[in-house]
Amino acid sequence: MMNRRNFLKKAAAASAMAAAVTMIPGILFASDQEDSTLSGDINWTKGPCRFCGVGCGILVGTQNGKAVAVKGDPNSSVNKGLLCVKGYHQIMCTSSADRLTKPLVKKNGKYVETSMEEALDLVASKMKETIETHGKDSVAMYTSGQSTIPEGYVASKFMKGAIGTNNLDCNARLCMASAVTGFLTTFGADEPMGCYEDIEHANVFVLWGNNMAEMHPVLFSRMLDNRLTRKNVKIIDLATRTTRTSKAADKSILFKPQGDLAIANAICYELINNGWVNNSFVEKHVVFNKGKTNIGYGLEDKFKFKDEATPINFNQYKTFLEDYRPDKVETITGVSAKDIKYLASLYGDPNLKVVSFWCMGLNQHTRGTWMNNLVYNIHLLTGKISQPGNGPFSLTGQPSACGTAREVGTFTHKLPKGVVMNKKHRELAAKIWKVPYERIPAKPTYHATEMFRAVDRGDIKFIWTQVTNPLVSLPKTSRYRPAMEKDSCFVVVSDVFPTPTSDVADVILPAAWHVEKSGMYGNSERRTQYWDKMVEAPGEAMPDAWMTIEIAKRMGYGDLFPYSKENHHEEIYNEYRQFHAGKKHNMAPVEVLKKQSGVIWPYIEETGKSTQWRFNSKYDPACDSTKDFDFYGKPNGKAVIWQRPYEPAPEVPDNEYPFWLNTGRVIEHWHTGSMTRRIPVLHQAVPNAYVEFHPDDAKQMGIRNKQKVKVISRRGTTVLPASINERGMPTKGQVFVPFFDESMLINDVTLDAFCPISKEPDYKKCAVRIEKV
Amino acid sequence: MRQGYVIIGFWIVLLVAAGIIIKASLTEEQALNHSEIIAMPNTNALPVEEGVFKLSNNAEEFLDLANRGVSSNKNLDVYYNRRAYPGAPPVIPHPTEEAHSMGGKDCLQCHQNGGYVDEYKAYAPITPHTDYINCKQCHVPVKSTGAFKPNSWKKMDAPEVKQQALLGSPPIIPHSLEMRNNCLACHGGPSAPKEIRVSHPNRVNCRQCHALNVNTKNTTKIWTR
Repeated sequence: MMNRRNFLKKAAAASAMAAAVTMIPGILFASDQEDSTLSGDINWTKGPCRFCGVGCGILVGTQNGKAVAVKGDPNSSVNKGLLCVKGYHQIMCTSSADRLTKPLVKKNGKYVETSMEEALDLVASKMKETIETHGKDSVAMYTSGQSTIPEGYVASKFMKGAIGTNNLDCNARLCMASAVTGFLTTFGADEPMGCYEDIEHANVFVLWGNNMAEMHPVLFSRMLDNRLTRKNVKIIDLATRTTRTSKAADKSILFKPQGDLAIANAICYELINNGWVNNSFVEKHVVFNKGKTNIGYGLEDKFKFKDEATPINFNQYKTFLEDYRPDKVETITGVSAKDIKYLASLYGDPNLKVVSFWCMGLNQHTRGTWMNNLVYNIHLLTGKISQPGNGPFSLTGQPSACGTAREVGTFTHKLPKGVVMNKKHRELAAKIWKVPYERIPAKPTYHATEMFRAVDRGDIKFIWTQVTNPLVSLPKTSRYRPAMEKDSCFVVVSDVFPTPTSDVADVILPAAWHVEKSGMYGNSERRTQYWDKMVEAPGEAMPDAWMTIEIAKRMGYGDLFPYSKENHHEEIYNEYRQFHAGKKHNMAPVEVLKKQSGVIWPYIEETGKSTQWRFNSKYDPACDSTKDFDFYGKPNGKAVIWQRPYEPAPEVPDNEYPFWLNTGRVIEHWHTGSMTRRIPVLHQAVPNAYVEFHPDDAKQMGIRNKQKVKVISRRGTTVLPASINERGMPTKGQVFVPFFDESMLINDVTLDAFCPISKEPDYKKCAVRIEKV
Repeated sequence: MRQGYVIIGFWIVLLVAAGIIIKASLTEEQALNHSEIIAMPNTNALPVEEGVFKLSNNAEEFLDLANRGVSSNKNLDVYYNRRAYPGAPPVIPHPTEEAHSMGGKDCLQCHQNGGYVDEYKAYAPITPHTDYINCKQCHVPVKSTGAFKPNSWKKMDAPEVKQQALLGSPPIIPHSLEMRNNCLACHGGPSAPKEIRVSHPNRVNCRQCHALNVNTKNTTKIWTR
């Protein structure tokens, strides 16, 4: 405690120091910053934001055991003190009156509160019994890109290592799977090569179907800030809908849905035709491949597809591109040849540094893997990659889609390192997990969409979802909701709040929210971020990782999960880190993560630094130092330019269903809205979903703003108010609906077609008709 | 001539401040045994109120409002009602064009320099962070007053100027300055809540006299390499 004399002295010093700080910026007094010199009763603790994949650093203020305020962490290089409206208000969801605090078990059609012990016993016995009767592959777990690293890790160890089934997939399949397969096919290694600091170096930003002003707002502000302070910065928005991003951009180019495939190829045509190819880079670091064509859309159950790479040479690739001369593809793209030539000239100008950003526009695409490949083609042809300010940058949707879903590997085919199909990878996992290696099956089973189809068919008889709300977020929920309601499948849902998914559960387990547990997230720029538990979870709510461990123990796998309740997150992380040992993917030790606002992997042990640009030997010690660039994900160190053609979407507007339907988010709401709708500020800003029209279409149909209309597809119908000239404006012949609203389920209407390579569904394109109500 | 005095004055203040600091840090070293002076990496851990200097041309206009025929009764209750907690970004209390425009073309028309807006019969507050133009990234309108589910959120108490170091010494800043690097945005002019409207807005360099009480504690120590 501070006595009065000390207090006065400190106060005087504090004011003198503050005066000095004003005059001599940059000098700070550590003691002044860290100590609560006066009546301090708010504790600020650092962590990553709960919401999007940007991974802003937040400081959460707690007072008397409650979270009371949030501010941006000025020490985080991601956001430098700035947040968005979701970030500032995130903690407010925890005080929602309908917070789940006790387990609920369905008995005779009614939910009955039970103790956690009883509920966990029931779940474990049900799971065990199902395995005994129907085999290991009759049980499944469906987790999340919002699960923490420890949560994802124990789920994988439990399903693949303990039980011995690959029936584990996650909602990141719905958002990032095409990015992953794009990275693996082109570079052989997942996740972006660059980092957010690229924004401070680039001259041109090309946004491919990415409404960054709403979806990655803090990065967008960072870009705008650069445009303000540096003179030669341009933002080009390439989209099918006019948004805030288009309005802020220097140029907005609108294209027809699915036209992006032709646009990217047309840009490559122009690059080659104008002699803008960086020949020495291409010769040294690139090979050319083609894959299969007419690859289907996955609309039927048990759809199978395997791509095959055939090497080609530069001339063959050049001949292929002849079909994509900009004026030849105008009818497909809807973009003038002039605009495509302009884009190509930006990519092709050796004096301009170019970053391409994209997220769901390219990933949620029936040719999502191809689209990712095609953007890499542009950067590889020009050699604009792996250097500050030059690079393709695949942005992530969820806070730990990279850290958990992709790096820990909570997909059916994945292991924490590598894939189940690879014997060496299985052996490594078995060794670290201390299980017989034969237990890990070598064949992947169900990806997300197919997992719920299997529930519908009755093949999966027990499913446990964590940190996700599939009955709002899956495509074609009109099929999968009745599927989950069937008696043939026992449904366990762990969540913080009741959702349409928990409505069909047999057991609902109350989960601890973000700051009510400790954990780590990994963001879009390979940054791993740690946070400490800041407040107690209410009632019997429990961290998801600990629920998994409790179930595993009850099923007799206790010896594989020897973690302590208090510190399991750290113990699990230390075990997990072993998987990534080595120069290419080294993860920072937990002690380092605790001290800093995140560390970008590969973490360089010798210097204690992050690797900001991979594959460039100037920055990345994992490279062969005799080369300038080394794409070490591939055995020959070379990246692949893929020949990928334009192919149409599976369902296109016709006379009966004349409109394209595009779906997405708004800045105020996070995904299915289970958190953000419970935050008064956000709910009051956007209380319900709506369907956006182009004003000409609305006029032609005689639809007024706010008028209720039916959006009808071959799958289902939903009723929404019309929105004309408000947040966004779709191109003519297209409507847009945000998907957060559980009472206006647009995913009843969407199509469950997916990219045959990544198995990621396309939420951006299907055909609908509109009727007035 | 006047400029000369300012420069001399500046150096005197600097000298005195330096003296006080050195003395303070020396005594503090004995008392607390730590007083390293650390040059922070350029993460800007403590925001400077550069915005004030940018907008200081308003300061003269903020003087003596009553005699200029300016009357505004905006009070702190209104101010805090627009915020989910003290320090949260305020909501947009008036109807907006949802049209997909941004910053300079939209909100900043009124909120860059303030002034009376006849449409709303009110004075537009000035943004305390002029460089950010994606306003609706943090500020959202109120389209509905209902709730999705009841919420028992309790706002923490607003910070108060509880004590001054010495009788008559300038009050200490009781709130953090993040995103609020222009003091005059909330403390000067007719759009400022009357309880916290400053009597001497023309002084501009607020933190010459008003020290910051961080009033907070990072449980994770600030990282300094």
